[in-house]
Amino acid sequence: MDLGFILTNAVVLACIYGTLAIGISITWSSLGLINLAYGFIFAFAGYGAWLAAQYVLTNGAVVLAAGILTGALGGLIVCALAFIPIHDKPNFTVRGLIATLAINLIGTQSLMWWFGPRSKSLPEVFGTWKIPLGNMVLTADKVGNVVASIAMLAIVLKWMRSSRRGLEIRAMMMNPHAASIVGIGVRRTGFYVLAITGGLAGLASVLLSQTYYIAPFGGLTPMIKGVSIALCGGLGSVSGAVIAAMVLGLNEALTSVVLGGQYVLITQFLLIIAVLLVRPRGIAGILDKAREA
Amino acid sequence: MAGVWKNPLFNWGVERAAEALPAPEWKNPQGSWDQARESPVPLHPVGRLRYYYKWPGHGGRTWSRRRYWPTRRRVLDIRGEYNPKSSRREKTIVDKRPIWWVMGLLALVLAPLFIPLNLQSTLLTAGAVFEIYAAINLCWMLIIGTAGIYSLASYAVVGAAGFGTAWLSINLGLPWWTLPAIGSVIGLAFGLIIALPATRLDGFYYALLTIGVNELCRVYTLQSKQFGSATGGLYGADSYVPQQLSPLGQSLVAYYACFALMIGALFLYRFIDGRRLGRILRMAPEKREAFAEATGVNYRQARIQVFIISSIALGFIGGFYTSHFRGVSFSIFGFDTVLLGLAMLVIGGIGRAEGAVVGTAIVIFLDKVLISVGPIRLIIIGVIMLTVALFLRGGLFGIKAQFRGWRDKKKSENRSSRAEKGGEMLPEEATETEDKDLIYWRRYDKMQRDYLKTLVSDELIDEHRRCPLGQHSEPLERLLLYFRRQPQVDKYAIVAVEPFKAYRIVALSGHRGVAPRVVEDKTYGSQEEAYHGVFLRRVQDLLES
Repeated sequence: MDLGFILTNAVVLACIYGTLAIGISITWSSLGLINLAYGFIFAFAGYGAWLAAQYVLTNGAVVLAAGILTGALGGLIVCALAFIPIHDKPNFTVRGLIATLAINLIGTQSLMWWFGPRSKSLPEVFGTWKIPLGNMVLTADKVGNVVASIAMLAIVLKWMRSSRRGLEIRAMMMNPHAASIVGIGVRRTGFYVLAITGGLAGLASVLLSQTYYIAPFGGLTPMIKGVSIALCGGLGSVSGAVIAAMVLGLNEALTSVVLGGQYVLITQFLLIIAVLLVRPRGIAGILDKAREA
Repeated sequence: MAGVWKNPLFNWGVERAAEALPAPEWKNPQGSWDQARESPVPLHPVGRLRYYYKWPGHGGRTWSRRRYWPTRRRVLDIRGEYNPKSSRREKTIVDKRPIWWVMGLLALVLAPLFIPLNLQSTLLTAGAVFEIYAAINLCWMLIIGTAGIYSLASYAVVGAAGFGTAWLSINLGLPWWTLPAIGSVIGLAFGLIIALPATRLDGFYYALLTIGVNELCRVYTLQSKQFGSATGGLYGADSYVPQQLSPLGQSLVAYYACFALMIGALFLYRFIDGRRLGRILRMAPEKREAFAEATGVNYRQARIQVFIISSIALGFIGGFYTSHFRGVSFSIFGFDTVLLGLAMLVIGGIGRAEGAVVGTAIVIFLDKVLISVGPIRLIIIGVIMLTVALFLRGGLFGIKAQFRGWRDKKKSENRSSRAEKGGEMLPEEATETEDKDLIYWRRYDKMQRDYLKTLVSDELIDEHRRCPLGQHSEPLERLLLYFRRQPQVDKYAIVAVEPFKAYRIVALSGHRGVAPRVVEDKTYGSQEEAYHGVFLRRVQDLLES
C-alpha cells in the first residue's frame, strides 16, 4: 500500500470516470438532456457483456465489444423513450431529467427482477500479465483500462472532429436552434449522440468490472462520479472533463493517503463546491448563460 | 334529364316556341343555402358552456364573509352574480379546493375506524409512513416548486437530522420531545451548508450537485462505526409511542401523531407559498428573474429564505422520524429514496400542496401496501413516473388545465375548418369594411351562385343556342336573370362591326368616358351567335367563380 499503487489506481479510475463524464457532457451540451439513466445503461451494458462472456466467447475483445454495443443499445432506448417524444415540448429539461430518472428506476428494477440481486463477474478482459516498474507493479487490467479508455475517447473525439456526423453534433453543441435551421436533424443527431455516449458508458462498465462486480444498482456510483466530474469540468466541455477527472483522481489518491478512505467523497464534494463557487459553470465552462432549449 | 318544361306560349303560336323542353328537376333554391349552413361537426349554441354549478339563492349573504385569521382570505371563495338570461341571482363557488381538502383530511382521520382487522397493522403503518413522507414532500415542494431550487438533497437533510438526533438520543439519553427541536438545529446547519452553492449555481447544476451530496451522506454513514455501519442503521432512540399500550394502540398513536405532523407541514406550506415569500417568488419564475430584479424584487434572498425555512422544517421532521421509528436506516440516503420521492412530487404535480400529498399517497400505496408483489411494484411506479413526465405538463393535478388547453385548441381548429370562403369575406376583412351590407350581399350572392351552378347543363346551353332571345325554360330564365343583373363593370356586350355580318364581344368599362375593351378576336356572323357567345362566356365565368 504505497503512494505509487494509489496513484495508479487514481489514474485508472480517473480514466474510467472521465469516459462517463465526457458522455454526460456531450449529451447535455448537444441535446440539452441530462441523462440520469446512465446508471441503468452502465448496468445494462455490464449484463450484456456478461451474457456474451457466458454464452458466446470469453475472448476479451468480444466481451468489450458486447459491452459497448449493449451500452449503445441502452442509449438508443433512452433516446427513443425520453428524448424523441418530449424534446420539442415545453419544460423539456425538467421533464427529460425526470423521464431519464424514471427509465433508470424501471431499468435497474427490471435487471434486478430478471438477473436477481447477486452480482456477476466478468472474465479478465486484458489477460493476467504484469509489468514491474520501479517499486510498483502495473497489472494487465490497469494498463488495459487506461489504454482502452484513452483509445476509445481518442477515436470518438477524432470522429467528432473529422466526420460529417461529428460536425452535426458539434453544430448542435454550439447552437441547437441554428443547427436545426440549417437542416441538421435534431432527432437523428439525438440517436447518434445517445448511442455514442451509451457506448462510452458500456466501455466504462466493462472496464470497471475488472475491479468491481456487475450488479443491478452498480451503475449508481459511477454515474454520480461521472456527473460530478462533468459538473466540475463544466458541462459541455471535453477538455474540462479531462482536467476535472485528473484533479478529482489526484484528490482521491491524496485524501485516501492523508485522511483515510472514508473521507474521499467529503473532500471531493468540498473541492467541487469550491470550484463551482469560484466558477459556477465549471473549470472550462465559459458560457455565461445556461443552455436554453 | 328527368324534368320537362312546358312552354306556356306554345298554344298561342309564338314563333320558334317549342312545346316542351327538357329541364332539370326543380330544386328549391333554399337547398343550397341550407347545405352551406350545414357543418360537418356538431354545432353548439353560441357562448361558453357552464362548467360551474350555479347555486340558487340571493347573494345578499355573500357580503357577510367569514375570514380566517391571520389572513384576510375567505373560507370559500363564493362569487355572487346575476344570470344574464333569467336575471336571477345566483352564486358560484369559484375555488372548490377547500372542500376537497376537508373531505380528504376527514377521511384520513376516520380511516382507522373502517380498516378491516386483518389489514390493520399493515395499513396503519403504511398510513403513518405516508403522512411522514407527505410532510417531507411538502417541505421539498416548497424548495422545488415555490423557491424553484432543484435540490435533490431534501432526504439528506432529513437523514442527517435523523442520524444526529438518534446518535444524541442513544449516547446522551435525550428524551423524545427534544429530538425534533435538535433536528431543526441540525437541519438549519445542514441547510446553510448546502444553500451556499445555491447562491451561485442555478437549475440543473445544483440538482446534479445535490445528488452527489446525498450519495456522500450515504457513503459516509455506511462507513462510519459511530452511525452503526454494522447494523444497517442507528436504532435504539427514545420514542414518543408509549410502550405500555397494546400494539394496536401504539399504531393508532403513531398514526395520529404523524397526521398532526402532516397538518403542520400543510400549514407551513400554506403560510410560505400563499403569503409574502410565495408572492415574491411567483413574481420571479424561471427565465423571468431579470424582470423581477428590475422591478425591485429580491428573489435571491427570498429563495434562500424559503430554502432555509424548509431545511429547518425538514430537520424537525428528521427528529420526529427518529422518535417515530426509534432510529434511522441508511436507506433514507439511498438514491432510490430520492427517486421515489421525486416520483411522488412529479406524479402529483410540481408546485401544488395537493400534488405532493396525493402523489405520496399513490407511491406509498404501491411501495408499502403492495409489498408482496416484489420488484414489479417499483417498475410500475417508474412507468407511472415516465408516463407523467412524457404526457403531462403539471402532473395529475395539471390534467384539468392541460385538458382545457387541448379542448380550446381543438375548438378553434374546428371553428376554422367550418368557415367556407368562396367569395365570402374573411373575418379580418369584414371588420375592415365600412359597408356591412356588403358582407351579407356577398354571402347571399355566393349561395345563389352555388345554386345556379347546379342548373347548368348541355341541354340548357343547347336551348340558348337555338333561341337566345324570347321565352326560355325556367332554369335558363333564372340563369339569364342573374347574368343581366350583374353590375356594369366588366359586363359583356356585343358590338356590330358590320351590321348583320360581323359582331364582336366587348366588355364595358362601367365608367363614363372610358371605352369598352375588346375581349376576343373572334367575330360572329350574326347577332344571335354573338348573344350565344356572350352567354357561354358568362357561364364559364360562373362555373369558374
